[in-house]
Amino acid sequence: MRKVYDFLEQDTRAAAVTRILVSTGFVLILWQLLAMFVTNRLLLVPPAEVASALWKEFQQGSMAENAWATVTAVVTSFLVSIAIGIGIGLALASSRFLSLTGGPVLSALNSVPIIALAPLFIAWLGLGFASKFVLVLLVAVFPVVVTTEAGLRATDKPLIEAARSFNATPLQIFSTVTFPYALPFIVSGIRVAWARALVGIVVAEFFGSFAGFGFAIMSASQTFDTARVLGYVIVLGAMGLIGSVLFAALERYLAPWRLE
Amino acid sequence: MTALLKIDNVSQTFVRNDKSSVEALRSIDLSINEGEFVSIVGASGSGKSTLLRIIDGLLAPSSGSVFVDGTKVDRPGPDRAMVFQQDSLLPWKTVIENVGYGLTLAGRPKAEVQAIAQRFIDMTGLRGFESHYPHQLSGGMRQRVNVARALAVDPKILLLDEPFAALDAQTREIMQTELLSIWQKSRKTVLLITHQIDEAVFLSDRVIVFSARPGCVKTEVAIDLPRPRDLDLKRHPAFIEQVDHIWKLIEAEVRAGVKQGA
Repeated sequence: MRKVYDFLEQDTRAAAVTRILVSTGFVLILWQLLAMFVTNRLLLVPPAEVASALWKEFQQGSMAENAWATVTAVVTSFLVSIAIGIGIGLALASSRFLSLTGGPVLSALNSVPIIALAPLFIAWLGLGFASKFVLVLLVAVFPVVVTTEAGLRATDKPLIEAARSFNATPLQIFSTVTFPYALPFIVSGIRVAWARALVGIVVAEFFGSFAGFGFAIMSASQTFDTARVLGYVIVLGAMGLIGSVLFAALERYLAPWRLE
Repeated sequence: MTALLKIDNVSQTFVRNDKSSVEALRSIDLSINEGEFVSIVGASGSGKSTLLRIIDGLLAPSSGSVFVDGTKVDRPGPDRAMVFQQDSLLPWKTVIENVGYGLTLAGRPKAEVQAIAQRFIDMTGLRGFESHYPHQLSGGMRQRVNVARALAVDPKILLLDEPFAALDAQTREIMQTELLSIWQKSRKTVLLITHQIDEAVFLSDRVIVFSARPGCVKTEVAIDLPRPRDLDLKRHPAFIEQVDHIWKLIEAEVRAGVKQGA
């Protein structure tokens, strides 16, 4: 048993994959057991039925159609929110005035459950890409803003002092010290932003769209097709997990010194 | 001999947030000749690090001025380079990139930066560690990189701010002898700030003793021990006598500082 723990604690790819497989397997077993007690198939369906429902979606092509709608919208919007988030974070970190005046507005906006405004956005921007785009942007941008500003402000003073001592210009201090220092912080913000973007897109699709995972979940639940609902939820979960793993790896790659 | 570094009546007063002011340095006059190795020792609170930052141009003095080679210092420049006490290496850059950092900032071509950095890596005993990152090195190795980075920009004056304070005693001794041999090879003018009296005596031609609160020059001790020096010198009666002499000059202030918890 001790050996198993030692293996799982390792910082290797094999160990990481095993950890994920073990926890996934655990969830599947628990789910299967639960499905044996809860026999009402409207409430819960066992994993195998979900898998076959998913397979059917693939074969019919509706999976591809929904995936295309969701992924294009979420990825464009996510990328734009990273760019805007970093931009706003930079502005806040470089100007005391902006930080003092703009900061409260941003944190007020951040504490509003923007998701709740989804029906309003759909009324303004119509069904389809535009409303999804804006909603995802608004939920995903804040973590990037916050971590960018925090990262830029967190830079070790001795590093800046040393750069100044070597006659660095303010731009050189930014490009060789402050920005590289902030980069892992920013990536951790991006990781959170990805998770929020997925929530945003699903909610946007719930309320108004004719394609996408959110739309598929909504329409399946309206016909009490629990297997399809759970199938799409799993696909979304996988997207979230992949993003999280990728960005965590990027963070480690950018800041290996933080681990020791 | 002409003075390479001239400190002319420099005073520094810091104003705290609560508007009270602290006098860190009072009318410092010092001059250091080319090729000289000079140390400043003093109790904590004697403003020695502040003086070094003023000389480097990181801090403007409240009054007075600093001249290097007759030119007034008003900002950091290529004629001075600082070796810092704490880790000031860029953690995301390799040893060779860190050593070449000052040259890269100055816009020198990449190949030239590489060649120069390599030369100082060899001089400071870092060969074989070129592509290591700072977090992979011991404290002593990191300070070698710090020294090499400062030497690489070919300054006229090397400013060392308690460079070995964070190292353990044995490593510190080794680094002292290495600093001596690097100094002998490069013939730089060196100004070292330290609280280790034996370090100052071992390395220097002259030791400037500072008083604390406010920092000012108390006295100056010429170290006429023969060169080249090695660690055996530290057991020599003449060496011990000089260390003892300087210790007695600052002992009362150090004790006062300990009582204040400073």
